[in-house]
Amino acid sequence: MAAPQAWFLARRTGRGFDWIVTLAQAVAACALVLALVLTGLAVVGYSPVAIVTRWACGAAGGVYPLTSSMVEACPLLLTGLAAGLTFRAGVLNIGAQGQFLVGAVTAVGLTTRWLPAAAPLVAIPLAIAAGALAGGLWALLASVLERYRAVPVVLSTILLNFVALYLIRALLHGPLQAAGTAAPQSPLIPARDWLGVLIPLSSFHWGVPAAFLVAVGFWWFNTHTTWGFETFAGGLNPAAANLAGIPVRARQFLIMFLGGGCAGLAGVFQVLGVTHFMTASFGDYGYAGIAVALLGRLNPLGIALAAIFFGLLDVGSQRVQESTLALPQGVADVVKALVILFMLLLGAYLARRHLQVTSLPEAAPPASAGAAGPPGSGN
Amino acid sequence: MLEWFDISKRFGAVTALQGVSFSIAPGSVGGILGENGAGKSTLMNILFGLLHPDAGSLRVDGRVVLVRSPRAARRLGLGMVHQNFKLVDTLSVLENIALAVGRGPGLIPRRRLRRQVQHWTDQLGWRLDLAEPVGRLTVGQQQRVEIIKALCAGGRWLILDEPTAVLTPQETENLLDSLRALARQGMGVIFISHKLAEVRQICAQVLILRHGRTVYAGATAGLSVQAMAQKMIGRSLEPLTRAASGAGPSPQPRLELRAVCAGGGRRGGETLQRVNLSLQAGEIHGIAGVAGHGQDLLVRCLLGALRPTSGEVWLDPALGHWRHRVWPGACIPEDRRREGLIETLSVQSNLMLKDYRRRPFSVLGVCRFARWRQRATELVERFDIRCRDLSAPVGTLSGGNQQKVVLARELADTPPLILAVNPTRGLDVGATQFVLRQLLAARYAGAAILLIHSDLDELLSISDRVSVLYQGRLQATAWPAASRDDIGRLMLGV
Amino acid sequence: MSLGHESLAEFLCWQTLSAATPLMLAGIGELVGELTGVIDIGIEGLMLIGCIVAYTAAAATGQAWMGLGAAAAAGMASAALFAGVVLWGRADQIVAGAALNLLALGLSATLWSLYQNHCANLGLSTHLPRGAGYDLVAVPGLSHLPFIGPVLFDQYTLFYATLLLAVGIWWVLRFTRLGLMIRALGESPETCVACGIPVRLGRFLAALFAGGCAGAAGAFLSIMRTKAFAFDMTGGQGFMVLALVIFGRWAIGPLVLGCLFFGALNSLQQILQTTRYTLADPWMHALRSVPFEFFQMLPYVAALAALALLSRRHPGPRALGQPWPQEVA
Repeated sequence: MAAPQAWFLARRTGRGFDWIVTLAQAVAACALVLALVLTGLAVVGYSPVAIVTRWACGAAGGVYPLTSSMVEACPLLLTGLAAGLTFRAGVLNIGAQGQFLVGAVTAVGLTTRWLPAAAPLVAIPLAIAAGALAGGLWALLASVLERYRAVPVVLSTILLNFVALYLIRALLHGPLQAAGTAAPQSPLIPARDWLGVLIPLSSFHWGVPAAFLVAVGFWWFNTHTTWGFETFAGGLNPAAANLAGIPVRARQFLIMFLGGGCAGLAGVFQVLGVTHFMTASFGDYGYAGIAVALLGRLNPLGIALAAIFFGLLDVGSQRVQESTLALPQGVADVVKALVILFMLLLGAYLARRHLQVTSLPEAAPPASAGAAGPPGSGN
Repeated sequence: MLEWFDISKRFGAVTALQGVSFSIAPGSVGGILGENGAGKSTLMNILFGLLHPDAGSLRVDGRVVLVRSPRAARRLGLGMVHQNFKLVDTLSVLENIALAVGRGPGLIPRRRLRRQVQHWTDQLGWRLDLAEPVGRLTVGQQQRVEIIKALCAGGRWLILDEPTAVLTPQETENLLDSLRALARQGMGVIFISHKLAEVRQICAQVLILRHGRTVYAGATAGLSVQAMAQKMIGRSLEPLTRAASGAGPSPQPRLELRAVCAGGGRRGGETLQRVNLSLQAGEIHGIAGVAGHGQDLLVRCLLGALRPTSGEVWLDPALGHWRHRVWPGACIPEDRRREGLIETLSVQSNLMLKDYRRRPFSVLGVCRFARWRQRATELVERFDIRCRDLSAPVGTLSGGNQQKVVLARELADTPPLILAVNPTRGLDVGATQFVLRQLLAARYAGAAILLIHSDLDELLSISDRVSVLYQGRLQATAWPAASRDDIGRLMLGV
Repeated sequence: MSLGHESLAEFLCWQTLSAATPLMLAGIGELVGELTGVIDIGIEGLMLIGCIVAYTAAAATGQAWMGLGAAAAAGMASAALFAGVVLWGRADQIVAGAALNLLALGLSATLWSLYQNHCANLGLSTHLPRGAGYDLVAVPGLSHLPFIGPVLFDQYTLFYATLLLAVGIWWVLRFTRLGLMIRALGESPETCVACGIPVRLGRFLAALFAGGCAGAAGAFLSIMRTKAFAFDMTGGQGFMVLALVIFGRWAIGPLVLGCLFFGALNSLQQILQTTRYTLADPWMHALRSVPFEFFQMLPYVAALAALALLSRRHPGPRALGQPWPQEVA
């Protein structure tokens, strides 16, 4: 199966302000898609102006809407990292959703059943570590299946999403079910184990800035460490990297574990910081993470920006749905999907132009004999 | 008559062809000579309708024709045998022929095709198993399928692109005989090659191209091989200094294969059978052989991608311990674009692909990019790599410069052990010389070099010793005492 | 024990064939697509789009065949979008497929709430009207055979059509030049160019075919089997299809067998879920203690296990998932 190509990564020429160009492209893609969707909605009979104003007020009109957008961005950012880090290493991890759920359910189990009496200072770090670990191990399962049984990661991660879904349902129906209810639902997590809120009266818990710190950490990991270099090289061309002595397989395991850990962390933060209990339908952040990763061009800092954008989009469109405008649900998903498709097209187009432009200076016939054959030397 | 006049073609700023004319009569063999990048392929793609010329015309039997597509070319009776065979490995011989010859989506006329194929194989005295998947045939047989394909499609002009590059000397003889037979029956054959001796042997007329321009068009009769080479390259080649001079190999082996067996799983395929091989410091040990006789397995065993089923690989303890999965020396892989380089990564990163984890270039897992840049700059100068700047993706470099990047990375620090597999594949003459010289230089510096190469002439020109792989068995020869023909015979197993 | 089946075994077999139908239909489409080198992991989304479009179109027009036709057309249209992005835009097929899934999720939600609004405004019910869903078709004569009759010859139209399609595609792949072209496209596009076969057009058509099949498979779920619509209606069946194509090693016979196996698992899972409280068998008693979510999980675990145990590395078509032309000049 195809390894991810370089073209959905930002250009890395190391000169000038490439990142501004990349950012401008992403913004242009988003604006284009929004315009397209709004036009579609106008055709069906909605007023674009009303939608946009309501959306802007709901997503960013004041402290409370802004904080809820950021809170929404937090799990998106972490699942985006789960997809982005692994894609960059050539591992197509589509299973952030399962890793997200497994992480969340671990935290719920720890705080409500297995360690109910522990002091928050013990319980919270333990729940975070255990949730991230569970997500990482769940992701590693797919890597192990590929390594020893040749099962493509794309497929195993997708199938593991469903396994995780029914597994947590079974848990929420069984050992983790709240007393006195027939629904698959966990009891409320004791309030002392909730993540502290940084802005009073909002849901802005400290997991949100922590998630952004994680993103910065992974940016540094990618750009400044040998392991970051190794995962990148191995993702672009595993055969060549292997031959150069890079332990590609080991790095893929590592990055899969780290990515799964991020998704698991998203689940922990979501359950400890926002929902405080768990039901069978716990959000689709894992799937949205793929879109976030692509919009962010697989760069952790870009992913952070993309997550903020999607957070604004989600919260805003929810407000418009609830309002009298009754926006059909699902529009936000359409926007996300179209953004991915646009970014893919744009990336492919730019990669093509980039290669053409840079190959031109060599196009002249070789100055001295034998140094450089002209390009397109067919045979 | 098949004639073309004043064909020109430009790609952007590059002139691929400029006013090229040539003609060929039915019943004769014409040659086209030129280095890689001289415009041969462009010319052929134009004849075959894959490219359209900017200027010039093509005439078949006196009529000016426009070739818009490969299908149109086929209708005109042009049959092409590409250097990279256009065959589908998983389909049978007959199905491949049906795919190429037939028209429309309908039923495969198996009986009619079989009769047609029979007709041609009888004429040429070949034997082909029509039910065999093409992927299981030898390269020589695949080439015959290609020729039959062209003939069955009603080809009257047969164009062969570098047909002998993959053949043994004996197979080459057979092919040349078959081509002569076809010419006797009134076919026109165009033979594209850079092997001068073969062109001289079989072609009455020759067209020599350089940088897209005609250097010579006319009879081969009065032309010596040296004169042809001179015209083709534009200068005379200084011969390589033979390895036999200078410091000889030391008797201490650096690497030994002892009765190594590998391959031959459930699905059959290539095997290695009790291969014994030793490699000494200061020698180039050449491994000749037709592709598909175990070279691939040998390389994978050495690189540790494949565990031998029996036998052992021994390494001079001074070089470290030979471990599964880690090749302790330098490696110039066969397919530089797949295995040697990461095309989308910058020149600098590609140059540092092995050294990045060493001390000055990274400390405690943190890269020090200033040192990388310093080192890369130095290598680019030393190996004369032509690139826009260090951050250009290496895929935008020309083939020769890409190979220089590989050489720079692998050979810069005079490694004690080098494995080179077809290191000159796809390079023009100048770049080829550069690569061979670098290998010789490494040899003089005391490296032990294992050279697995399919071009027999190049292999013989620099090797101290030559062994031949045939069906997974390695046979030592008495090179340089043995003759070229003896080695050719060993390659064929006779 | 609905529909007047005489024994549990009979019902199980009938249910197996019926559950296998959408898998087979989507699987055949995906197989043809993958043979030409296009891997579409958005097949799940295409099925979902088929579900919603079939349901709304059938409900709006009151004609079942309109629903089926619209579903196939919508599947093809979405596949055309995917194929355009992938073939001419040279985007990564896996990622574009994932985007297609997300798009389908959003589109079906949008369409469904628009439809509900529409019905609410007009005071209509959102249920499927009579005649807008397909009924079982008994083959005259054959349906009265013992056991085989009710199992095999009392099925939905699309079941028979799928069987015919499977045989037809097998015949095409084996005996016609079209079949050679399909296999050559995925195995060696450069050969196709030399033979004058347009690579991208061929792949585009194959992707369209796959989209049409997936859309029809979605219609089977919503207007044949259940006559209702739900967001989790496809429930990962599209992903199962992808696993089945690998599992069947890109051949149609093993693919159909695999679909039947998973159909059996699926129906077994449903029967176990519904009957474990009613049967007084001691064996069933043990099952009662197993949470039913584990039965729901069964097909996915089985798919993973099957891939792990049976898919030793078979590379599949050589150019699968690769853009064409490979080098951008």
